[in-house]
Parts: sequence; C-alpha cells; structure tokens
Amino acid sequence: MASTLVLLHHASPHYHQNMPAIISPLNFNNQQLQNYSLLSWRHTLLPPNSNNININALLLSASASSNAIPGGIRTRRRRGGRMLRCKAANLAPGTPVRQTSILVVGATGTLGRQIVRRALDEGYDVRCLVRPRPAPADFLRDWGATVVNADLSKPETIPATLLGIHTVIDCATGRPEEPIKTVDWEGKVALIQCAKAMGVQKFVFFSIHNCDKHPEVPLMEIKFCTETFLRDIGLNHIIIRLCGFMQGLIGQYAVPILEEKSVWGTDAPTRIAYMDTQDIARLTFIALRNENINGKLLTFAGPRAWTTQEVITLCERLAGQDANVTTVPVSILRLTRQLTRLFEWTNDVADRLAFSEVLTSDTVFSVAMAETYSLLGVDGKDIITLEKYLQDYFTNILKKLKDLKAQSKQTDIYF
Amino acid sequence: MNAAAAATTYSLAPVRPFGLCIDVSARRGIISLCYPTTESFGSWKIAAHRRSGLLVICRDASKTGKVKNEKKKKKKMSTETNSKEDDKMEVPEVQVSQQELSSSVSVMKRLDDVNPVGLGRRSRQIFDEVWRKFSGLGQISRTTRTNDETSLLIGEGGPMCEFAIPGAQNTTVLVVGATSRVGRIVVRKLMLRGYTVKALVRKADKDVVDMLPTSVEIITGDVGDPSSLKPAVEGCNKIIYCSTARSSITGDLNRVDNQGVYNIAKAFQDYNNQLAQLRAGKSSKSKLLIAKFKSADSLHGWEVRQGTYFQDVIASKYDGGIDAKFEYTENGDAIFSGYVFTRGGYVELIKKLTLPLGSTLDRYEGLVLSVGGNGRSYVLILEAGPSADKAQSKVYFARISTKAGFCRVRVPFSSFRPVKPDDPPLDPFLAHTLVIRFEPRRQRPVEVPTGVTQDLRSFKLILEYVKALPTGQETDFILVSCTGSGIEPSRREQVLKAKKAGEDSLRKSGLGYTIVRPGPLMEEPGGQRALIFDQGNRISQGISCADVADICVKALHDSTARNKSFDVCYESVAEPGKQLYELVAHLPDKANNYLTPALSVLETNT
Repeated sequence: MASTLVLLHHASPHYHQNMPAIISPLNFNNQQLQNYSLLSWRHTLLPPNSNNININALLLSASASSNAIPGGIRTRRRRGGRMLRCKAANLAPGTPVRQTSILVVGATGTLGRQIVRRALDEGYDVRCLVRPRPAPADFLRDWGATVVNADLSKPETIPATLLGIHTVIDCATGRPEEPIKTVDWEGKVALIQCAKAMGVQKFVFFSIHNCDKHPEVPLMEIKFCTETFLRDIGLNHIIIRLCGFMQGLIGQYAVPILEEKSVWGTDAPTRIAYMDTQDIARLTFIALRNENINGKLLTFAGPRAWTTQEVITLCERLAGQDANVTTVPVSILRLTRQLTRLFEWTNDVADRLAFSEVLTSDTVFSVAMAETYSLLGVDGKDIITLEKYLQDYFTNILKKLKDLKAQSKQTDIYF
Repeated sequence: MNAAAAATTYSLAPVRPFGLCIDVSARRGIISLCYPTTESFGSWKIAAHRRSGLLVICRDASKTGKVKNEKKKKKKMSTETNSKEDDKMEVPEVQVSQQELSSSVSVMKRLDDVNPVGLGRRSRQIFDEVWRKFSGLGQISRTTRTNDETSLLIGEGGPMCEFAIPGAQNTTVLVVGATSRVGRIVVRKLMLRGYTVKALVRKADKDVVDMLPTSVEIITGDVGDPSSLKPAVEGCNKIIYCSTARSSITGDLNRVDNQGVYNIAKAFQDYNNQLAQLRAGKSSKSKLLIAKFKSADSLHGWEVRQGTYFQDVIASKYDGGIDAKFEYTENGDAIFSGYVFTRGGYVELIKKLTLPLGSTLDRYEGLVLSVGGNGRSYVLILEAGPSADKAQSKVYFARISTKAGFCRVRVPFSSFRPVKPDDPPLDPFLAHTLVIRFEPRRQRPVEVPTGVTQDLRSFKLILEYVKALPTGQETDFILVSCTGSGIEPSRREQVLKAKKAGEDSLRKSGLGYTIVRPGPLMEEPGGQRALIFDQGNRISQGISCADVADICVKALHDSTARNKSFDVCYESVAEPGKQLYELVAHLPDKANNYLTPALSVLETNT
C-alpha cells in the first residue's frame, strides 16, 4: 500500500496524460494467477510472497486480498475513492508525453546498442536504463543518449526512469553469469507493471523464436511467460521474436579463425537464420510507428538458416585460411547438463547449457518473412545476408590489419 | 592497449582480491601483503593504470599466449616482413617502463614461476577459457562480448556501421545552436557518423552539457558577439547553423538570424584566409591571381578599345564622342576612366588571360574583382573557345555593379550568359579573354551628396586586382532558415526579413553554402514520409526535425548541395488531378541517398 502510493507520487501528473490507467493493474486477478500456475515454473516464476519490497508482490497481494475478503472490498473502495481524486487531479492539462521519448532497457547489449543508434538517428530522445556500474557506459552518452541508472532486480529504482516516457523498448537479457530468474523474470514483471501503472503508451519486448515450444529451456520459458504476462496486463505492446544475431558470429567464429585459435562447434544439425542487429533495429522502428502492429507478435529471421558447420566453412573461405575446429558432440553437452543438474550449486550452469536440448531436437530456427515484410512495407532485398555481412567483415578487417601494419612501419622511419 | 584492458579486468574482479594483492606487490618486487584491498573503485583504477606498463613487460618476458599470437599474425599478414622489424616495433612500447624496472624483471620471473597463487590463477584462466567456449556452444541468440578488434569495425564510425561516412573521420563540424530542436538531432547524427563535433552554446549550464554527447567540444559564445566566435570556428571544416531567435522581437531576430549568420560566416572566412596565408597561397582555399595592379608594368597587356552597337552610319549622327584611358597614377592606382557620349557606344578593357602553369579556370568557380570608382555598372565579358582558333570563340557576359568607393565584386562563372542564346553555357576551362566593358545604358545614379551633378555617361574605375575564386566540391556552411509558413501572420514579415538578410549575407560571404528552408517543424521521428524539395515558396506541409537534421548531415558531403537554397517539407497528399507541382520525392532509406537526385534538378546560386 505504502509502496503503491510512492509509485503514485513518482508518476507526477505533469508528465502523464492517462494516469487513470493506474487503476487497472488491480484488475489483475486470481484467475490470471491461476493461468500462470499452469506453467511448469509455477513455484519459481510466481513472485515471492515474502515481505521484501516488491511492486509486483504488492500489487498482486493487494488485488488478491481485495477480491477474496469482504473487508478487502471495503478497503478497495476506500482506495478507489482516493484513486478517483487522483484521477480528477490528472484531468488538469499536463505536458503531454512526447512521442519521441523512448526508454531502452538493455542498451549496452549487442542489440540494445543498435536500437539506441537507430533511435538517435531517427530523431528520438533516447533514455537508456543501465545498471549502475563502475565503468559507466560512456559510449551511449557519446552518441547523445541520456543514461539513467537503475537495476531491474531492484524494483524501487524503476519508476523514476519511466517519467515522461512514451515507449519502452526492452532488449535486456540477464548476463550469463547471473541467475536468470532475478532479471529476466522478476525484473521484467516489475518493469512491465510499472510501465502499465505509469501510463507508458507502448512496450516493445524482444523474445526468442519458438520460445513456446521449449519450456524445458529456462530462458525461453521465461520469455514466453513474459510475453503472456505482457499480453494479459493490457499494455499496448509489440512482441518481436528473434532467431540469432550475426554479430555474435564474429566473436564466436570469425575472430578465432583469423587469430588461428581453435573454433568450437557442435555437430548439431540445427539451422539458425542469423540476422544483422542493425536490420533488426531498423525493422523494429518501422513496426513501432505502425499503429496496425500494436498488440501483434512478429518474428524476425534472417534470409537463410545456417548450421554451425556451414558458418565455419563460410568463414574459412572468406578468411582464406583453415579453421582449427574442435567439434563437440551434442550428446556431451546434454550429458554435462544432466550432470550439473544434479547439484544445487551448478544449477545455473545447467540452465545455461539448456539450449543443448534445442540443438538436439533438429529444428530449423527460422520463419518465412514474406508476410512480415509486406506488413512492415519493407523490401526483403534490403535485409543483409550472412554471406554479405561476413564478406564485409573480412574485407574490412583484412584492410584494417594491413593499414595498421603500414602505419607501424611509418612510425619506424620517424623513430 | 591490451595490457590496460587486462589490468582493468584484474582490478574489477572482486572475487580475487587476495590474488590481486599479492600480484601487485610481487610485480614490484616488494614482498608485502598490506596492499589495501577494500578501497573504492577509483583508487583501484589508478592502481590498474599504474600497473599497465608493468604488465606489458611481464607478458613479454614470460611469452604468454596473447603476445605470441599477435606477433604471429603480424608476420603472417606481411609479405616481406623480416622478424627484425617486428622486434623493433615492440621495443619503444616496452622501453619506457623497462628503465625503472629492469632490475625487478628477473625477480618477477622467478616469483611468477614459483608463486602458487599465480600458478593457480593461470590454470584457472585456462579452465575458464575452455569452459566459456564449451558453454557458449549451447547458446542460440546470446550476446558475446565483443573485443577490441570487432568494436573497431562495428563500433562507432567503423566501416561496418551503417551510419559510417568515409569523410567523417577528418571532418570537424561546428554546430551553432546545438540545443535547438534541429541542432540536438544534428549533433547526435554527426556523432553516430564519427565526425568531430564542436557545439556553440550561449551558456554552458549543466542542463546544456547534459543534453549534449560527452565528447562534443562545447564552446561558449554568442553569435551576436563577433569576438566570441573566433575560438568556435578554429579547426572547423564545416558549419551547420540551426540556431534561431527565441522571440520575434526585431532586435533578437536581427541579432541571431541576420547578424549572427554574418558574424559566423565572417569568422569562418577569416579563419580560412588565415589558413590560406599560412600555406602561402598554395592551399585549396587560396584564390588564383589573374591580375594585380600594383605598378605601371602591371598594366601591360591590357588594351583599351571602343566600339558601338550600331554598325551603320546613323550612329555617327549621334556621335558625341568617346574617350577612355587606362593609366597608372602617382598614387598607385590603376584607373580606367573616360566618357561615352555616343549613343550605343561603349569602351572596354581587354586582356588575354595568362594563367600560371598547371592552373585552369575550371577548378575555380568565379571571379572576384576588387574595384573602386564612382559606382557605375559594367559588363564582364569572357570569350571562350579553343585557343588555336579564335574564330570559334563564343562570348559570355555578366553584368556587375559597383558602388562609390572600394568594394569587392564576386561573379560566379555560372552567372555568365551566352550572347547568342543558342550557345552552350560557359565552360571556364576554355575562357581565354577577359573584357571589362562600360556602356552608358542602364546606369543607375548612385547616392552622392546633393548639389553634385553626375553624368551617368562618364565613369571611373579603379582596379586593384582580379582573382579567381577557388571552387569547392562541398558545402562549407549549412543554414537552417525557414519558409515562413506556420509563423503567425503578424510577425511573419519581420521574421522573414531577418532570415532573408541572413541568407543574403551568407550567399555573399564566398563560402560554399546550403540554405535549407523547412516547413513548420514537427517533433516526431524522421524517415517516415516522402519529402519534397522545391525552390520558390510553394510548400505547405510541415516536416519533422529529424528529417531536417538528416538533410543537413547528408548535405555536408554532397556536391549537389553546394550553393543551393531550397525549401523542403513533407509530401502533401493531394487529391488526384490536383497535384500542384512535379517534383522529386523520395523516401529516405538506408540504401538510397535521396538528397543527390532531389537537389541535382534544383538551381544553384539561389
């Protein structure tokens, strides 16, 4: 209760037009809770009912109690009155939230930074939610974005960052070294509820392709649950499911091949349709501005799906040298997962290896894009292919290395 | 560089403070464990920096994997390398720190070999590396941390970045009015493309500083105050002017929209001139001297001729006499003076152009004359054609007006019109003869003190020099003006007058200019709707600030944008059959550059 009021206090009426929306999270009732309980992760995914300060817990418990107990209804009515007063106060003309003001969560990531750049280039005022860290993300401020410090795992830090925000773009995913649940589930739930309560007008959420088909992979299950949660809470949203990033391949294959280090690959036949994050960012903003796409689920996939072996072969051809490939059979990955699952303290490790389940199931991680292209009004030819992307990369890096060498020779002469 | 990175990772790993502690002292050859481990991050960082030099040595001495690998790569990349050179290259880096530490190196080596903590750390690193790779296999769309090399290409300004522009790295752009609606976006766009950006702001408040990217150089100054602009234009290659008066008070308008543009353009031109002087006239910004009248000898080759437009006998009936002379006076002035009383008569001064070796006029965009006199207007004539056959020469003319007293007159080659309308436009490359002609027709009286009668048929022209203005491929100064639509009618005229005066002073400045007149600005994301480029005040729609910013940034390196003024707005969605104009409209896109085709059909020097 107290926390809810704090929240109201934060959401100063001067910045938000549609504050009355604050009443609606209370409609999040028991039935929906039951929906969640059907999910396999019920016991863990449900917000902890403990007494730590958590917007999520507070809102849920408030609604639950008010529905169940007659006394609760009375309280609710009383509070409803207060809310109404709040609403009345909000009818006063405030500064409308500008359409160009967006918040990017996870702005330092591979996709996040491209989103930020694209947004800045298209004239948005970008605010980046960044975890307080010793080495601040200076590059974001260097591009002209505003950086605010907040941590999704500490919900009390969230509301202040959402002031005056029209659209939230969420491209955050927990770091590999931290437990998935804190950021990816509890943090996201808090963020979405907060966005709803503060009248954010659009929420863009990046998910993973086929996340509904693999409940055994924790990250994918969390993403799917978040999708469902977002849909149910009644926030204007777009969900975009992604397959794989081309940028990831550089560190994984291209650089090791150039440096003649060993490249690790699996023999899995899974094909992934990698996509350039710059293209993803471009399409995202096209979708964002299209009112017809509100509430829809889009899947972005690259033009072609590739196996690991094919990618390595392509890199070898473009780099002009053979890779030193260490192939790990998928069965070993699975075995390791089973082993690490046995112990409590290696559970996180097991979670991270969980994708091996996906790898073994021989899926093609791709979708036909024709419909999405026509929906967005984009020409499929503008989407960069992996061949082109890697070719650009290798041409540039080989040229750069040559330049560096030439430069160092020149300085030799001057010395 | 790698060493510094490595050092930071050490210092940031709070799990191993103990290892770090030993590490530090061991490397220094001081065996003590009392290094404070619970310090704030600031001091850790300092420690890391201090150590970074040392780490280079250690790695070099112990020949650990990374250095070896780098070396190998370098060898492989070169075709004619000898290893000697490579070794030489490494030496300077290491030497500095080696001096102070040469004694401790051997101690370090031994310590590292036996230090159990060091051994443990190394084995752990190896395991971590293997584990990272192993667990990375199971990932699908997880991010991998990009290292130095990849961020070089994909990161800011790298060639793999979709925003990267080849010329951006060496270009410094001054943004005037960096906190305005358009200016803010311009600054961001420039930063994304890798330009060096200077921002001129009135007050460097915290709000203002926070609004601008961190590596923008902020300069405090006021466009209304010429003295504060010198530091702003220093080192700049280009200027984007997007500041506008806050109010429509005449004083404000005049200060920012008119005088401000003039001041900045003047400061910039002064700076360019200073550069040209430094390079003794050899810079690309230097003008080409065609004639300078500083001695009696310099009049050599100039020939006075007279003639009349009427070739028949009737003309002689009206012959009132023509006289003209070109002489060098004792005061050091070259004076072309005389009178033409004959109807249809004229006198002219002719010179065959002789250019210094290697210079051709096509690299120049016009003539500038420094002249004085009594303010008559003249006709400049260029004869152009193959120098071997004078009979094929074609004649082009441009009218110039002077004022009483000295002035400089700029005549762009593009303003020369053929005498015979069918002739092709002037090709400066072929110009071989320059003529300055006086004719009594179409003279306008100049303002003189009352009581002095002036005869418009007499003239006096003091010539100081004739120079050719260097051409530039690109625009130097981009001015965001306005079309006037969207301003409240009572104030419109005043605003437009100030803007117009500003535009005019920019056109006269001699800088390559682009004047963008957007429709009413809207704060919405750009790149969504087709744009219309037009000349002649016919636009009706608004335009987003982001699109205006995009046009400014694109125009920086676009040769078609040079010396053009144009209006721009969103395409109006007209009912079929009621389209008002036929124009080039393009949707901005990653792949196509919409600006060049749109601007190539518009007129220059407008």
